[in-house]
Amino acid sequence: MIAPAAEQPFALFVPDPDLALLREKLALARLPDELDGAGWDYGVPLADVRRLVARWRDGFDWRAAEEAINRDLPQFTRDVEVEGFGTLNVHYVHRRSARENAVPLLFVHGWPGSFLEVRKLLPLLTADVPDQPSFHVVALSLPGFGFSEAPKKGGFVHKQYGELANKLMISLGYDAYVVQGGDWGHYIAGSLATYYAHTHVKGWLSNYPHAQPPKLSKSPWLWLTDLVTPYSEREKEGWARTKEFRARGSGYSHEQATQPQTVGYSLGDSPVGLLGWIYEKLVRWTNGYRWEDDEVLEWVSVYWFSRAGPAASVRIYLEMTNRFERRAVDGIEWTSIPLGFSLFAKELNQVPRKWLRTLGNVVFESEHEHGGHFAAHEEPEALASDIRRMFGKGGPGFGVVPGKDGYV
Amino acid sequence: MATTTERPFTLSVPPAELELLQKKLELVRLPDELENAGWDYGAPLSDIRRLVARWRDGFDWHKSETEINKLPMFTRDIDVDGFGTLNIHYVHQKSAVKNAIPLLFVHGWPGHFLEVKNVLPHLTAISGDRPSFHVVAISLPGFGFSEAPKKSGFAGRQYANVFNKLMLSLGYEEYVYQGGDWGHMLGAHVVYHYGHKHLKAWHSNMPFYRRPTLFSNPLLTLEEHLPTQAARVAVEKLTHWRQKGIGYYTEHATKPQTIGYGLSDSPAGLLSWIYEKLVSWSDQYPWTDDEVLEWISIYWFSRAGPAASIRIYYEMTGGNTHDTFEGTARTTVPLGISYFPGELLLPPKSWMQMVGKVVFESEHDKGGHFAAYEQPEKLADDLRRMFGRGGPAFGVVHGHEGYD
Repeated sequence: MIAPAAEQPFALFVPDPDLALLREKLALARLPDELDGAGWDYGVPLADVRRLVARWRDGFDWRAAEEAINRDLPQFTRDVEVEGFGTLNVHYVHRRSARENAVPLLFVHGWPGSFLEVRKLLPLLTADVPDQPSFHVVALSLPGFGFSEAPKKGGFVHKQYGELANKLMISLGYDAYVVQGGDWGHYIAGSLATYYAHTHVKGWLSNYPHAQPPKLSKSPWLWLTDLVTPYSEREKEGWARTKEFRARGSGYSHEQATQPQTVGYSLGDSPVGLLGWIYEKLVRWTNGYRWEDDEVLEWVSVYWFSRAGPAASVRIYLEMTNRFERRAVDGIEWTSIPLGFSLFAKELNQVPRKWLRTLGNVVFESEHEHGGHFAAHEEPEALASDIRRMFGKGGPGFGVVPGKDGYV
Repeated sequence: MATTTERPFTLSVPPAELELLQKKLELVRLPDELENAGWDYGAPLSDIRRLVARWRDGFDWHKSETEINKLPMFTRDIDVDGFGTLNIHYVHQKSAVKNAIPLLFVHGWPGHFLEVKNVLPHLTAISGDRPSFHVVAISLPGFGFSEAPKKSGFAGRQYANVFNKLMLSLGYEEYVYQGGDWGHMLGAHVVYHYGHKHLKAWHSNMPFYRRPTLFSNPLLTLEEHLPTQAARVAVEKLTHWRQKGIGYYTEHATKPQTIGYGLSDSPAGLLSWIYEKLVSWSDQYPWTDDEVLEWISIYWFSRAGPAASIRIYYEMTGGNTHDTFEGTARTTVPLGISYFPGELLLPPKSWMQMVGKVVFESEHDKGGHFAAYEQPEKLADDLRRMFGRGGPAFGVVHGHEGYD
């Protein structure tokens, strides 16, 4: 039996032929027309795509982006075994704080996110500033995303993501740790809590407040109080946003949860198709964030050049919802470890607060007037502040990791 | 004599477009696939790989073009209120029977005008005591070789306007109609605007309507809960459709431009998007690779491009804010329905009474969504029985009973 590969430093380097292929495809781009005055009504505006494609073809410097990524994000790979799935080579960012007793924190991205989302948080969390907790940060590329291998067969769900992430942390010497995640990171953090609360996972903070309504059978008191307590204005607004998102913003998730391979062909073969598909979310899901073209292109390039290809990344929707037969959130069980929520103004799924308590022991809720779905990227200071307030001195999650309270 | 903008149409894709397709196929980048995926995750990789290879080396588009050009095709300008002039492409095959029944055949998505190909000879044939038809098969605006509307809001009323004007311009003051998929939904619109006056009877092979509510049709809502085979099938198909079949629909109806980028730029992407439906919506139809590739090529080489064809979902549903029958109401124009077992949705038969005055019903044991293509003889036979002597819609078009 081949011993699993130990940690290898990873330097992102896309082979020249892959760069050449992208350029050739962009040179042959065939764009559709657009209805007069379409704006964003029908999807991504043509002018945006046209401009971005032109930039991607001539102007955007991937090698420079690579260099900066490698400089800003210390990356590694190692093999992690997952029961029933063999060994997966996992790509991750790992930066330790100068403070030995910093709190180990696992950051988990979602779709169409990536490990890059930790970039702005990293210096903030690992900083060694007096009277402020510090963190050792690990940000993995989920299997099938970024530069992690993808599972080869179906059925990779909550339990497997949990197992993989937990084994990764333990292999890095973090027997106990906390988790922060949004989008799929929310569900995976919740899965980690479900399977490893107390034993390894000591607390989690989510910026994606999605939960199901309390059930009379499971949490009668919560059910009752939810029934009789009026919702706040913010909750009502949030719920309206949620319904709008479900009715008119979730076509991509229907397709990805039922026919991921079908849509995967265009995502894998057309950089223009991939750009349109992802860029729509980058703009619609953020809150007034000013994307630079090169920023967008770097983000989409990571998907284009990903190890398993873009098609692999969308399978998570089918697996975690069992082909849309259940909600991904149903895979999360209530645990008593501290659970916190960072609530950004324009997040997509905003359920009434009481519903969040079905997911765990909610001890921290932080409301923000700004920000959207990609909180770590849009509002890194705010999110870092929430992480510090939850796990720092005086916070409800202070000292949850034995011997690593974040201070000197 | 009034001038006409009708021009004979010869399909001739420019060499530059053929070259571009070829280059793209040569640079194709296919994804991997999970072990034993089969059809569980979408169109299987081995099918797409094989089809792409064939499309690249082997499939002869010129041969297809030559065959397609054997159909009598034309274009003409149709003025649509508020949308200016659209140049519309259509097949127009007259029967040798002078008093043949004028019939408008309307396709859907991912269909096109060529779906009429197999059923055309049966309908225009002269055969004893069976009626004959003059057939017009239109390319919907934004599909095939018809121009697409340039602005938003092109919906039921506008499609009806185009259809009616086309038939009138061809000299058919009165006519009948056959459609499936969008052809069915749009049928409800045409019949609402021009029923009785121009559209005398219609037939559909996709028996679909909005679900009855306890308020609107109490008795019909109960039917779904009866312990009958038909009710069981109806509920099963509806559930399956809602859960697993609706991804493309939701994307089309909310973000047609977004999905349009991949469909315009990637032949493999367009191929898989459509091929998945050709297979899963038909009833074990033995598609040949070249048949599939010809079908997809029509989309790839379409006048307005593949992205334009998707917009119908958005326009007809107000961006997924209402159903496709919005703006219609039941009419008493005679309606015929053919039930094919492989169709996506098979509601209880009583539902069609909500749509119109059902005078003809036919049930088959084989055939799916693309009925005219898959089961041309069965469909033609249904139309003959509906419109022929002794049939429930015999003689609806004055002076054009289908016989000389």
